[in-house]
Amino acid sequence: MFKRGIDMVSVELFQMRHRVSTWVLFALWGTAALFFNYVLPYLVDDVGSSSGRESSAFGLLMPDQFVNVMSGGFPFYGGAIALILGVLTVGSEFGWGTWKTLFTQRPGRIQVFSAKMAAIGIILVPFSILVFAVGAVASSFVAWREGVEIAWPGAQSVVEAMLAGWVILAVWAAVGVLLAVVTRGTSLAIGLGLLYTLVIEGLLSAFSNQISWLEPIANIFVRANAYSLVRALGSVSGADADGPGAFAGPFVSGTQALVVMMVYIVVFLGISAWLLERRDVV
Amino acid sequence: MTTNVTNEKNVIDARQLTKRYGEIVAVNHLDLTVRRGEVYGFLGPNGAGKTTTLRMLLGLIRPTSGAASVLGAAPGSAESLVQVGSMIETPAFYPHLSGRDNLVVLAKYTGAPVTRIGEVLAEVDLAARADDPFRTYSLGMKQRLGVAAALLKDPALLILDEPTNGLDPAGMAEMRSLIRQLGTGDRTVLLSSHLMTEIEQICDRVGVIARGALVAEGTVDQLRGDESLMIRVDRASEARKIVSGLHGVTSVTADHGVLHVSAGNRGDIDPAYINGRLVAQGIGVQELRWDRSSLESVFLELTGEHGHGDDRPMADAHPDGYLKGLREVTHV
Repeated sequence: MFKRGIDMVSVELFQMRHRVSTWVLFALWGTAALFFNYVLPYLVDDVGSSSGRESSAFGLLMPDQFVNVMSGGFPFYGGAIALILGVLTVGSEFGWGTWKTLFTQRPGRIQVFSAKMAAIGIILVPFSILVFAVGAVASSFVAWREGVEIAWPGAQSVVEAMLAGWVILAVWAAVGVLLAVVTRGTSLAIGLGLLYTLVIEGLLSAFSNQISWLEPIANIFVRANAYSLVRALGSVSGADADGPGAFAGPFVSGTQALVVMMVYIVVFLGISAWLLERRDVV
Repeated sequence: MTTNVTNEKNVIDARQLTKRYGEIVAVNHLDLTVRRGEVYGFLGPNGAGKTTTLRMLLGLIRPTSGAASVLGAAPGSAESLVQVGSMIETPAFYPHLSGRDNLVVLAKYTGAPVTRIGEVLAEVDLAARADDPFRTYSLGMKQRLGVAAALLKDPALLILDEPTNGLDPAGMAEMRSLIRQLGTGDRTVLLSSHLMTEIEQICDRVGVIARGALVAEGTVDQLRGDESLMIRVDRASEARKIVSGLHGVTSVTADHGVLHVSAGNRGDIDPAYINGRLVAQGIGVQELRWDRSSLESVFLELTGEHGHGDDRPMADAHPDGYLKGLREVTHV
């Protein structure tokens, strides 16, 4: 039984690894993190100039800050990418008709679904590691170029940030899975998911600073809890930034954020599994 | 509500199986019995409810009411599925994986040995293209891979839904021969099709479904009914009177100048004698031969799809009324 479970997860990883879209999202995630956190700030703010070296932005480009800098991408574009990954992993099965193929094999629907979720969870590990690796390399390059001595953050903070990043990606992937199951496809799920991720939660969170009764609602938003989680670990991005990635609160405690995020994973995947189990496969 | 209906001789037992989608009744109180070791043909026009029935037997769709048992277990249960190989409608696989890799995925899910993959690929003649991506396959190759996947578990029951779809004539002949071969021994095959020749060539027994209900069941010969003597004459009403009075004749019907003469046994009436009697009475006989309903005409009559093929009204051809005859067939 256990061996079959391992086999099921391994073939899910095998088929996800052979999907071009998985690699496109992986590359997009790494590229976006590099571009928004290092390339743009370095070029636009000219932090390498003598005046720029005095600014706080220059300090953020140094290796001792790469964990705090890179963590800020998880609640924003990291979430959107994880959502798309979740939608594609589950929603494509409806488009290809492969649910019927898998559900007429030996294991039950819940086991098949669980194998897919485990595979997504495993795939998200390299996604989480990737941006920190990119941050380490990019910040080292900036330090070398600017002739600054390299100092690294503590190993514990790196591991904690990776775990927090994984949790945030997992929540958004679970949102994608749920939307894919509800809409039985990919297109509408991605559209709705991105609209919710980038627009609805952001706007409501912004208004919650002016409308008091919105604040308790905004406190349980994925976005608010994800930003709160990385902020508790020392992330510097988001709160002070402008543009679509900006987030000015409300914030909750790190513990509350972690609990809420874990609950979201369980609830979203639970509803998805329940729907998949009881619906007809047509 | 689905419960088990267990009978060791019967591989599939469905009783009063019904599936409704709102006002639409896709399958209507269907009784279906498939016996161990037979090749059972499930014949019906498009939209008759064949695929919906098969999906219910595989647990993909839950029936609105009725009971079913597949290999002694509930449809869709692990106990049932482990012994069932199936291909429902268009074969569905991962487009980015090769045919072989798709079978590896399924083998891991079913627990079938990976060594079996080469065997089933050879069995469906797909070994040469097995390492190409599934998305590059023709429809015929996809069908072959679907059958290969169904065989992976070396199943006791094979459920195939229109398996020759998309195949060229040679491929269809090969596939039919393969299915016939797969149906030998203890293995049971449930084959859904709307192709009469396919069912006629392959199947031991046939169930005809129309508008969601099983309207007839039996061997092909039973469905086609007994032979009758067909006589085309120039004065049908006079001829009918003459023939009706002859020894051995049980019934005579007339339709557009054609008599259909039935007897208890074929040997009870002599065509040459009947011809002589008619000619002696001055009736011109243009054609005289033994005739039997084709499966196609039976199918069209049963499914209400008139206007194609044999347009002879079935109720006339069978004086007792065709539906009465079919009810008898159902209990064979």
